[in-house]
Order: sequence, then C-alpha cells, then structure tokens
Amino acid sequence: MTWKLVVFVSAIAVINVAVVIEFVRRRKLGENFALLWIGVGLLGIVLSVARPLIDNVANDIGVRYGPTLIFTGAILFLLFVCMNLSMHISRLTERSEILAEEITFLRNRLDGEPRV
Amino acid sequence: MLVIIPALNEAETVGRVIADVIAALRADVVVVDDGSTDATARVARAAGAQVLSHPFNLGVGGAIRTGMRYASRQGYSRVVQIDADGQHLPSEAARLLAQLDDQQADLVIGSRFAEGYARTSAGYEVSTLRRLSMRLLSRLVSRRSETHISDTTSGFRAFGPAAIEVLAPIYPSAYLSDTVETLLIAGDRGLRVVEISVAMRERLGGTPSSGHFRSLFHLTRVILVVLLHRVRRPVMQRGVQ
Repeated sequence: MTWKLVVFVSAIAVINVAVVIEFVRRRKLGENFALLWIGVGLLGIVLSVARPLIDNVANDIGVRYGPTLIFTGAILFLLFVCMNLSMHISRLTERSEILAEEITFLRNRLDGEPRV
Repeated sequence: MLVIIPALNEAETVGRVIADVIAALRADVVVVDDGSTDATARVARAAGAQVLSHPFNLGVGGAIRTGMRYASRQGYSRVVQIDADGQHLPSEAARLLAQLDDQQADLVIGSRFAEGYARTSAGYEVSTLRRLSMRLLSRLVSRRSETHISDTTSGFRAFGPAAIEVLAPIYPSAYLSDTVETLLIAGDRGLRVVEISVAMRERLGGTPSSGHFRSLFHLTRVILVVLLHRVRRPVMQRGVQ
C-alpha cells in the first residue's frame, strides 16, 4: 500500500471519530453508541497503517489475499451491528406497547370508561 | 422533606429500611420501584411509603430521576437519596441534612471512602479495577469543582432547594451519569457541593451489581462524558410541571 493510500484511509478514520464526537457534543448521539463508533474509527486508523500485520495474519489462517480478510471482518461486524440494532428496535417496540397499555389504564381511570 | 429510595427486587430489605428511615427522620418516603418482579411495591406500601412503579426497568439513575421530579412537583425543599439494601444508615442521613443547613450547601455527598479506597466504610473490599476507577473519577471531577470529592459515585446524597430546582428537570439517568455527571452540572450551575465521610453497615440482603466487562464499558462511557462535558451543549429542560 502506498503512503498516499495510508494517508487517505487514516484521514477517513479520523474524520469518522471527529464526526462522532461532534454528534455527542450536540447531543444527537447517545454515549453508548458513540463508544462503538469511536472504537470503529480507532480500529480503522490502526488497520490503515498495519498492512504487513494484516498480511501476516491472513497468511497464518490460510487467506491468500490480505484485504479479503478485512472485507470479511467488516461484513461480519456490520452484520453484528444490524443484529444489535434489530434487538434494540424489538425492545423499544415492546416498551412502547407496554406504555400504550399503561396509558390506556390511566385514561380509563380518569374518564371512567375507556375511549376507543 | 422527602427520602427517595430506588428499589429493584428488594422486598427482603426495603420494609426495614423504610421503617428505620421514618423512625429516624420523620420524613415522607417515596420508593421508586424500578420494574421489580417481586413484592417490593407491596412491602414498601405496607411500610408506609409512597410507591412510584416504573412500567419497566429504567436503571437506578432513571429511578432517582423519577424521585427527583416527584420531589420537585410536590414542592419538597429537601431530598435525601438512600439505597434500599440497608447500607445507608438513617442516622448518617441526618448528618447529611445537617450539613445542608450548617455549611449552607446545596448538595451533600456521603463518602464511603473515608479511610482510603481499599475498603468501603461498610467494610467491603474494593477490587483493583474499581479502586483505580474511583481514584480516576475523583481526580477528573474534583478538577472541575471547588471542593475535592473522593466518592463521585456515592448514591448517598442530600439535596437542598437550589439543587432540586436545577437537577430535577435534567437529571441524567444513565448508569454512573446519575452520580458523576450531576456533580459536573452542579459545578456549572454554581451549586455548593460538600462531601462528608459516612459510616455504613453491611447490606441487609441482595447482591452487588455488574461484572467486569460491563463495569469497564460504563467506566469508559462516563469518562467520555466527563471529558466532553465542558464543550457539550447543555441538556434541554425536559417536560417538568
């Protein structure tokens, strides 16, 4: 990998981290998710300068072309994130149903009879 | 005066804690039942407390926030926060309250680490990771406030009227933020914070919370919060009243 490419990839990773921190600063992004994405950015910085390391690891586990290892890792990671977000959505859905129920009961108590 | 007791499945101990508090402080007691699946709410009501039950678990910070908003809506001018597991002594709560008046403080913290970070004042040994994090948080937070605070995560606190007014609408509910971040907000708004060391007893029942990985995650999270606090936008007031 040429040094230009290293600079380019690290720049993207640095921007990633900066954008995440800016979103946290504006309170658009919760700190829990922020930690995840900062972690991703930092990993990106490491990977951008660690081509020899990647090639070695790829060789050791029998992958002929280093970058495929990164692609595979990235795809698996994104899959994991999707699963995780799906789980969050499921939980939020369940909670909003519970809240709707609770409000229904409260309304019933206030009005004397439930509204449709 | 209002005593807030956050409780999650503490049916074993909460009754005794409430009885002790009422006997010692003659205060109103509100138990915030954070989605318990045992008899916590029933026991608490029978012991003479108001009970606010969350429809699902929001975490201890969420429970304190509910309690603080309740205090603010009902017009209480002083609030004490006490754990339901019996570690916090009502007699020590009286000392916290005395500090509010004597020191003209707005927020009084009861510190568990009077004799260093090796053991809490209840006699529990503190793990190395926890000890290091307590030190680090103490240093980071104390740098931003006028007084040195050794126990930034103590859940044994007394709030005066100014602290209730400032904190109730924007109380952070995330784990560790409910204790650590409130100190930073208190600093921003010019609240006077005082820390005193308190005696504690062993918990009457229940188990201490969370494993290593989770602790490390929450610690990293709260450090991020502390480091970014200065430059972050303040939280908007969320619908109170």
